[in-house]
Amino acid sequence: MKVLVVEDEMGLAESIAAHLTKDGFITETVFNYESALEKISLYTYDCVVVDINLPDGIGFDIVETLKKIKASSGIIIISARHALEDKIKSLDIGSDDYLTKPFHLSELNARVKSLLRRRHFGGSNEISFQEIRVNYISRKVFVGETEVTLSKKEYDLLLYFMSNIEVALTKPAMAEHLWGDNIDSADSFDMLYSHIKNLRKKLTDKGSKDYIHSIYGIGYKFGKN
Amino acid sequence: MKLFDRTNFYYIVFSVIIYVLVGASFYLVVEHVIYQEVEQRLKVERRDFENFVRAHGVWDESCYFVENKIELTALADTLVPVTEFKDTLLYNRYNNEYVPFREYSFVSHVGGAPHKVTIRKSLIESRTLLKSITGIMMAVLSLGLLVLFLFQRRIARRIWAPFYQTLSRAKSFDLNEGKGLTLTPEEIFEFNELNSVLNKVTDKIARDYTSLKEFTENASHEIQTPLALINSRVEELIQQRNFSDEQMRWIQDIYQSALRLSKLHQALLLLSKIEHGQFFEWETINLTEAMANKLEEFEEIFTHKTIKVQFTKTGAFNVQMHPVLADVLITNLLSNAVKHNHAQGIIDIVGTGHTLRVSNTGSALTTSPERLFERFKKQNQSSSSLGLGLAIVKKICESYHLAIQYSFDEGMHTLTISSPTAGE
Repeated sequence: MKVLVVEDEMGLAESIAAHLTKDGFITETVFNYESALEKISLYTYDCVVVDINLPDGIGFDIVETLKKIKASSGIIIISARHALEDKIKSLDIGSDDYLTKPFHLSELNARVKSLLRRRHFGGSNEISFQEIRVNYISRKVFVGETEVTLSKKEYDLLLYFMSNIEVALTKPAMAEHLWGDNIDSADSFDMLYSHIKNLRKKLTDKGSKDYIHSIYGIGYKFGKN
Repeated sequence: MKLFDRTNFYYIVFSVIIYVLVGASFYLVVEHVIYQEVEQRLKVERRDFENFVRAHGVWDESCYFVENKIELTALADTLVPVTEFKDTLLYNRYNNEYVPFREYSFVSHVGGAPHKVTIRKSLIESRTLLKSITGIMMAVLSLGLLVLFLFQRRIARRIWAPFYQTLSRAKSFDLNEGKGLTLTPEEIFEFNELNSVLNKVTDKIARDYTSLKEFTENASHEIQTPLALINSRVEELIQQRNFSDEQMRWIQDIYQSALRLSKLHQALLLLSKIEHGQFFEWETINLTEAMANKLEEFEEIFTHKTIKVQFTKTGAFNVQMHPVLADVLITNLLSNAVKHNHAQGIIDIVGTGHTLRVSNTGSALTTSPERLFERFKKQNQSSSSLGLGLAIVKKICESYHLAIQYSFDEGMHTLTISSPTAGE
């Protein structure tokens, strides 16, 4: 899976690339409009992450070029502008998702993966980790062959975990993923805690190992150790 | 009152006064001239009479066949004063009506005895003349005034046309277009001045507005980008394991402060965007319905905090609002009701055709209720909330001319949003 990151803030680009690479993507980074155009004309990417404000151009034009050359890449716009018009325009011209800066890397990761899942439809409809399998079409979860019934939030949480394996996830990032940012953090952390407790219990009850690890003061990590 | 109506009104009042004055004075002047003329002739006839009497010694009535033309009355006492000129009415036996005459009386000695002689002249022709002259004069005058009136109305319309054009252009001036009015120069000096002043002023407004808008957008971009970098770097950092617990706490502090800063910044940006009226589009939004939908989203948190919610809706509260702001409004109202509630508390929401009322249980305010809507006025200064929620609610209400009221009664805080037409 190849991802192109177009972001002029080098530190941020590097950070995104590092995070995605860690998750098994082949990531390339460019810092301006010109080199982004060069890259997309030469290579094919599964996903392109584009910043709107670039020093020598506008991210929207990259999206339009991609659409013009009929590239099959999924497109995620990242922008510091919170303007609703930008969001609407991004989706109008054919990008698949829109993230406002600052965002959590784990959120971007989850969005990239969800986008790729939606795009590569014909293949398997499942993602799995060890004995846990999630069918994201029917939204069913299995441990081995046994089905586990999860609430909507628990399902979202599990999918989020499985998109970010072996990644330390912060509580604010998880709460925002589940409820958006309109909710008081103290409440959301409590609710997050109880959802995690339930999810953990439901999975281990069906015979799964406990893959959810808490990290003191930070949040949680989903993985083998 | 329109400009034309006002000038027409003054014109009509003025011309009626002029009309009456001119008519009256013209009548008087012509009458005076006619009397002068008649009296002149009466005096000439007196001389003819006196010459006749001097030549013949007596007055022979027969040489004047016109009845009552010259009348002689013997006077016993010459000291009785005689009025020289006066108007009188005499009976005309052919027409059976009284006819106006001017008579001239004087004392003369006829045949040695003093007589009062009265010479009369009919005024009927002069009267007719006076009437017709005045009539024609008035008709001409009124025609003139009417023509003048129509003419000035037409001229005024033409002269003021550029003004009305400027007015309609100014009315349709849209800040969002980002440029001032481009009014064309006019021939009339004042209108030209007006247009150039308007051009200059609107241009400045548009430029200021654009730069303000750009500033908020840039500020948003320039501040959010470094914040994004801080957040992503911290997220990378926490993937490492070789930190002590204390270092981890510092990292967490940095992370949370950066997140908070970003949220604060977004909230302030939202406030200034509302203040500067940068939310132009609007659609009809039923706040009661929006509230019902939002309640579903909040259901989990209500359960979590064991808050009981009662929702009564009796009508659709339709407002013209930007959909994003409507969402922010409802969300802020609800999170406020949750935040300042206690466990096992109650939220009571009533939506009618023109009000939306959100009440919640909670301890009494420690600050004064007037300061409730101020920025950064928090019930508990150390709480994690930004203290901007109600300030934003108030700003949204203000910019859409909705009234918002707070009251506290029997342990219930109540916020009521109502449309200005409520209670009518």
